[in-house]
Amino acid sequence: MNWISAQRISKLGLINFWRNRWLSLASTLVMTLTLLIISLFVILLIIIGAATDRIKAKMDITVYFKDSAQTEEISDLQQKLAARGDVKEVRYISKEEALIIWNERQKNQRIKELVTPEENPLPRSLAIKAIDPENLQNVADYLSGEDFSSIIHKISYEENKQIIDKLLAITSFVQKMGAVLSIIFIIISILVILNTIRLTIFTRKEEIEIMRLVGASDRFIRFPFIVEGILYGFLACLLALILMWLMLMFLSPLTTKYLGEAVTENMKHFFTSHLWLIFLLQLGVGILIGIGCSLFSIRKYLKI
Amino acid sequence: MIEIIGVSKTYGEKICALANISLKISKGEFVSIVGPSGAGKSTLVKLLICEEKPISGKILIAGRNIVGLEPQELPYFRRKIGVVFQDFKLLPQKTVYENVAFALEVCEASPEEIFEKVPRILDLVGMIKRKDNYPDELSGGEKQRVSIARALVHSPKILIADEPTGNLDPINAWEIIELLGRINRRGTIVILATHNKSIVDRLKRRVVLLKDGRMVSDKVRGGYVI
Repeated sequence: MNWISAQRISKLGLINFWRNRWLSLASTLVMTLTLLIISLFVILLIIIGAATDRIKAKMDITVYFKDSAQTEEISDLQQKLAARGDVKEVRYISKEEALIIWNERQKNQRIKELVTPEENPLPRSLAIKAIDPENLQNVADYLSGEDFSSIIHKISYEENKQIIDKLLAITSFVQKMGAVLSIIFIIISILVILNTIRLTIFTRKEEIEIMRLVGASDRFIRFPFIVEGILYGFLACLLALILMWLMLMFLSPLTTKYLGEAVTENMKHFFTSHLWLIFLLQLGVGILIGIGCSLFSIRKYLKI
Repeated sequence: MIEIIGVSKTYGEKICALANISLKISKGEFVSIVGPSGAGKSTLVKLLICEEKPISGKILIAGRNIVGLEPQELPYFRRKIGVVFQDFKLLPQKTVYENVAFALEVCEASPEEIFEKVPRILDLVGMIKRKDNYPDELSGGEKQRVSIARALVHSPKILIADEPTGNLDPINAWEIIELLGRINRRGTIVILATHNKSIVDRLKRRVVLLKDGRMVSDKVRGGYVI
């Protein structure tokens, strides 16, 4: 294709876009919606991923020792645990430290006063974190063995495990449902875009017919529609980006409230540091859908 | 120049639009194809411009069978024949000049070529003074002139007019026919499909009569007789 044809085709595409501005606007808005849904799904995945990581990071085993246990026995166990390949960290919590934690956590003053440095029933403990939280069960099994029953008062794992498993099941469910819903929405939006573009092309049936009759090549007929498809994609991408930014601003107080400052900061950081990537991805997807739908819709009118 | 050999066309299984038509048209001829509605005139026109393909037979134009043209060859074929329709088929949002120039633009003509050809053709059809008007601002006769100008812009050897006077009053209709006659005298084959009796009778040129998809008569200086 020569330069003059490229110029004419681009001009024709731009003029057509402007002349059918209401239909163009409809196509652009529907595509904006699609891009938003795809982007929001990705963000949802990131948030859920972050939440799962946070839950997993909190998973640990705390072993409470009997007051009769010797300090040497405890430090011996601590060393044995630290030497294990699947254990990330073993922290010893003395009676004094346990008291500090107690004072921090306990809100009720009367109960708080029941424990004093002089009369401290709080046990010594070891807080164990695994490299992979899934492996905590092995550590729990090891500790439940006969060897340590004389010094161990209680292992906290079992009671926490149920709650944690439930939380992980919920996040995994939300993740899967999100994926299914997003795919359904994406298919619906693509169908709507396809229909809208078909409508724009249908209104120009006569123009296409005239172009064919005066000897325009299929390429010349098709390209202005591709230009329009690119325009839909480009504008939709810009709009989706602006809407995402507004939503982020609007939603960040809520995420801070329910998921913590860190998640909000993570989201904002992710958005700003990946702005170009998001832009290019949305642009790519938008243009791809625009061109794909245009080519698909015009096919019918190019047949002889 | 044009040779139609044993051409038949059916739509579905029951409707036979054309049955075994054979016709030869030489260079410089003016042929009227007449017949009542449904006789097959428009089908013949569609076959000649490759809008549709016959189920059997050959259509030779300048020795080449156009029935076997590949889809990618069609645009180049269509640039060699001009077509005029009853409903003008002008783009309403383009001016007279732009409508004619558009036919050259889509064929990748240079701006110089467009600048040189369009005014000349508009002058030929008597529409140069109206070049900046939109189709809505023109009368039926004027619209048809623009449509003829557009058909002529590629300097075709063949001009096919399908009921070009169907939407026009008698005076305008005759003016269009005279214009077609003028174009024919410059050496272009003109094929006129019409059911306008007075025009055909007045023309006194070759008349091919179709009826129910069959060729009933072919007279060198004929009139409209059914």
